Amino acid sequence: MSTIIKSLLTWLRSLFFKEEMELTLVGLQNSGKTTLVNVIASGQFNEDMIPTVGFNMRKVTKGSVTMKLWDIGGQSRFRSMWERYCRGVDAIVFVIDSADHGKLNSARVELRNLLEKPQLANIPVLVLGNKNDLPQALTIDELIEEMDLHQINNREVCCYSISAKNQVNIDKTLEWLIKHAGSGK
Amino acid sequence: MSWQKKDKDIDEGGIPFHLDKSAVLQEARIFNATPIMPRKCRILLAKIIYLLYQGETLGTVEATELFFSITKLFQNKDMSLRQMVYLVIKELSTISEDVIMVTSSLMRDMQPKSDVIYRGNAIRALCKITDVSMLPGIERFLKAAIVEKNAAISSASLMSSYHLFWQAKDLIRRWGNEVQEALNSKGGSSSGGFFSGSASSSPAAVAAAAASHSTMVQYHAMGLMYAIRQHDRMAVAKLVQGFTSGNSGGSRGFFGGSSGSVIRNNMAHCLLIRYACQVMENDVSVDRQLYDLLEGWIRHRSDMVSLEAIRSLCALPGITDKDLASSVAALQLFLASPKSTIRFAAIRTLNQLAAAHPQAVGACNIDMEGLITDSNRSVATFAITTLLKTGNEASVDRLIKQIAGFMSEISNEFKVIVMEAIRSLALKFPSKHPTMLTFLSNVLRDEGSYECKKAVVDAMLDMVREIPDCKEVALSHLCEFIEDCEFHKLSVRVLHLLGEEGPTTVTPSIYIRHIYNRVILEKSVVRAAAVNALTKFAVNVNDPALQGSIRILLRRCLEDRDDEVRDRATWALRVCDNAQASEKYIKDTSSYDWETLEGKLYQYCADPQAAQAGPFNVAQVPRVSKTYAEAMRQRTRALGSELENATPLLPAPGTTGKDGSGAMGRDGTKKSSGGVGGHPASTEDSASAAFKRQELYAQELKAIPEFSGFGPLLVSSSKPCELTEAETEYVVQGVKHLFRGHVVFQFDCTNTIPDQLLENAFVIMAGMEDDLEEVATVPAPALACNQTSATYVAFAKLGLDEGADESAALQPIVGSYNTTLKFMVKDCDPNTGEPDSDEGFEDEYVLEDVELTLADWMQPRYLGEPLKVWAELEGAAERVETFALSAFVNLQDALDSVAELMGMYPCDNTHRVPAKKVSHTAIFTALYAGQIKTILRVRLTMAPHQGGGAS
Repeated sequence: MSTIIKSLLTWLRSLFFKEEMELTLVGLQNSGKTTLVNVIASGQFNEDMIPTVGFNMRKVTKGSVTMKLWDIGGQSRFRSMWERYCRGVDAIVFVIDSADHGKLNSARVELRNLLEKPQLANIPVLVLGNKNDLPQALTIDELIEEMDLHQINNREVCCYSISAKNQVNIDKTLEWLIKHAGSGK
Repeated sequence: MSWQKKDKDIDEGGIPFHLDKSAVLQEARIFNATPIMPRKCRILLAKIIYLLYQGETLGTVEATELFFSITKLFQNKDMSLRQMVYLVIKELSTISEDVIMVTSSLMRDMQPKSDVIYRGNAIRALCKITDVSMLPGIERFLKAAIVEKNAAISSASLMSSYHLFWQAKDLIRRWGNEVQEALNSKGGSSSGGFFSGSASSSPAAVAAAAASHSTMVQYHAMGLMYAIRQHDRMAVAKLVQGFTSGNSGGSRGFFGGSSGSVIRNNMAHCLLIRYACQVMENDVSVDRQLYDLLEGWIRHRSDMVSLEAIRSLCALPGITDKDLASSVAALQLFLASPKSTIRFAAIRTLNQLAAAHPQAVGACNIDMEGLITDSNRSVATFAITTLLKTGNEASVDRLIKQIAGFMSEISNEFKVIVMEAIRSLALKFPSKHPTMLTFLSNVLRDEGSYECKKAVVDAMLDMVREIPDCKEVALSHLCEFIEDCEFHKLSVRVLHLLGEEGPTTVTPSIYIRHIYNRVILEKSVVRAAAVNALTKFAVNVNDPALQGSIRILLRRCLEDRDDEVRDRATWALRVCDNAQASEKYIKDTSSYDWETLEGKLYQYCADPQAAQAGPFNVAQVPRVSKTYAEAMRQRTRALGSELENATPLLPAPGTTGKDGSGAMGRDGTKKSSGGVGGHPASTEDSASAAFKRQELYAQELKAIPEFSGFGPLLVSSSKPCELTEAETEYVVQGVKHLFRGHVVFQFDCTNTIPDQLLENAFVIMAGMEDDLEEVATVPAPALACNQTSATYVAFAKLGLDEGADESAALQPIVGSYNTTLKFMVKDCDPNTGEPDSDEGFEDEYVLEDVELTLADWMQPRYLGEPLKVWAELEGAAERVETFALSAFVNLQDALDSVAELMGMYPCDNTHRVPAKKVSHTAIFTALYAGQIKTILRVRLTMAPHQGGGAS
């Protein structure tokens, strides 16, 4: 009997104090998506990562918010499947390696292609310029310029320059994400 | 598990028996719901699997949709749900697109740190969805899982590797150490909770699974180990010895032995027995040692191992009755087993054994007679058929009576087995034919499927052929059968036989009534066959009165409704009046070689120019004797469905190749010699296949400009010889072509390495006598993986002027030459086959020696009635030689090697030495160098003391 009451209480509590949100992380390969997820989930940075084949799913609780993170592989064979995992989420997180100038072009194209999908209309997008600890990394303004973010005007777009390695701006990122909890519903 | 129990389980799971696919797919929306409802999802997944197992098919789009919604379920940690997800993913892996999407998730699930029960399941699912290109990424984890202590995980990894092995041999071959460790491991802890997550398995099943699982790893490891090593004979021998060496010194201390590896699993033990037999086949030196082991295993406490050992022993080639005694004794005990599976296994083994060793099986006769009344009909049938094989003449009548008692109770398949047994029995005891025929005709009268009736008719046809005494009775039974036969094919066959055999009986007239009845009553196919049979009577019966009546009957057939029947009747009447035509068309029993004829006609029809050039020339097709056709038919039947199409019939791209065999026998050479040699017994090669191959070669060679001046191809060696082992990096086969003044060696090279592209491959030949001079080499330009391409080396025969006479030109050249394959290797992408760079390096590969033998000059060919040919060639070149062949134990071996050495066509089945004869004469014919008729008579005599002599 007591267990039933207990579970009822948890349920009630969750109803009032807990929020669930779903996020999808996309971006080209080697931009640091899985690393970022690990940093958010456990606060630990791990240099040695293997490419994600397919997707990873992580659940992270920050305060009263439970985040479901869909971390999708960035290799070209998986890019066609990004859309499937972006449908109906609260926010799309697009991670960019801001130190890899050669790939900015294709990152821009991929982002534009993704946002053109009618199924994903109005979902807020957070663009993260990762690896700002590296010397050749772009600044936030350069990044916005390079990615043509001003052109996107049919949804909320935000851009931060972060470093998963040194945990720079991770708090700001989380703050933004939590603010958008429930927006996909 | 009883049916009620199953029923209850299903009710609990809430699965109704009738599910609608579209409704289920509609329901699949709940996979996308938040939060996930594990119980509901699990039930829905079960429904999907149920549908798939019921044979419902999903389209690619449907499956992909479903698959991606299922991937959403990875967010839930419910264990049973996860296991259900794996099951469905495995089912969808072949239908849906992009299944590699779950790779990362599965890899996370199989990590050692995730201490969950579904690790093994994750590994199995992973191997289903992965492809070869992904394998290097997961290799590390699979290797680690193989040596895992938990038996379930280790087994899962081993089995997954086994399935992947055929796609990624080179990669998995490197895992030998891990597999070896798993093979030797002590079983490890079996996870008791392995199955506890799945709702529907009964507690008993869990317990059984857990008990057997601990040693199951060894079975799986053994299978994979063998897969890795199977092409390396030494390694397989080592594998077997690893398990058997421990006890070779200490007699029977095997099962408790602590030294070396120990077999813990019965199924692994069975595998080991099979591998051991293979080792014995390959390596005669360990024969005795392994034989002793096998014999020891007969007394193994597990019935399965014991039976496997016995089966292997019985199947050993050349085993003697004495060696079989202990096996038969053990089988005798098994015959009394209360389990019907064991009785079945034992009786089946005895049945197979009885074919070769009836005496050895005879010891069990009493026990087998007890099994005739066995409640299991399959056991009973095998008992009867075995008894038929082992029984002596006196018991035949009694057995036949017993079979007749239960013929109506057994299925058609078993009836066929019984008929086969009766057939061989009838041929064994010809004097018992009245009993057999009565029995067979009774079966014919009863109901039965086509297969069954066909077996009976086959048996009777063979009896007619082999036992002259029973001809008349059998024919009358068959006549009765066709009076009421629902299978046209059988009617036609019987009518054909009547036509063949009827005219030579004492009273041919009685069959004519039966045949003509068919003309009145049956379908057109049968009517046409009946007309043919009548024609044969009309020509072959020497009774003018009867001939006249048959003509009247044939004339009536002219009014038939069917064209074919009318045509045949018209033709028949014409032929009857013309003695020469009837001699040619009816009395001559030789026929064309049908396969070659088919190929030639196909060529002719495919080539528009050939039709303009003139009508089809039937003289191109070799004729075969009746006995040869009969032998081929027997062989085809024996091989059954195993028979492959040895040479595909290729449509000819250009003009029909002009073969050198058009002109036959300008002058004759008669040879009579015996042969020597130590070759293994040859398998008989069909003359027509060789003929067809030569046709293809002739076309290919004609297309090569370097060889255009060589004139017509005289002969090509009948069989390509292997110049490498079958499983090496480059596989090369050699074929020899002989021209009037030249010899061309053709090397068919196959590249089996996926990431290499071979360019400009050619063969260097050395060791030539000074009678040959190299004139041209045609390299193979490029060889991608799994491609076969030919390179040629041509030699001119020296000392041969334009004006040289025929005999000099056709002098056989015999020798053995060293060969080396040289080529340029370029690395390339295994998927696209595109070379990575233009740079390559030269490499060479030493091949085995090519031999040019007398057999290469021979073209096996049926030349006609052997005695006539002999007489025809009388006075031509003739040689008689006598050899002592001491290397052979029996006449058949000796004759086989003579046949292989000479490469000639055996006439009238004389290449089979009848059992227990001390002397034998065989006749072979061939076309030497494509134009000279050659006949060989071999007389073999067994020397009283040891081997055979030939003259």
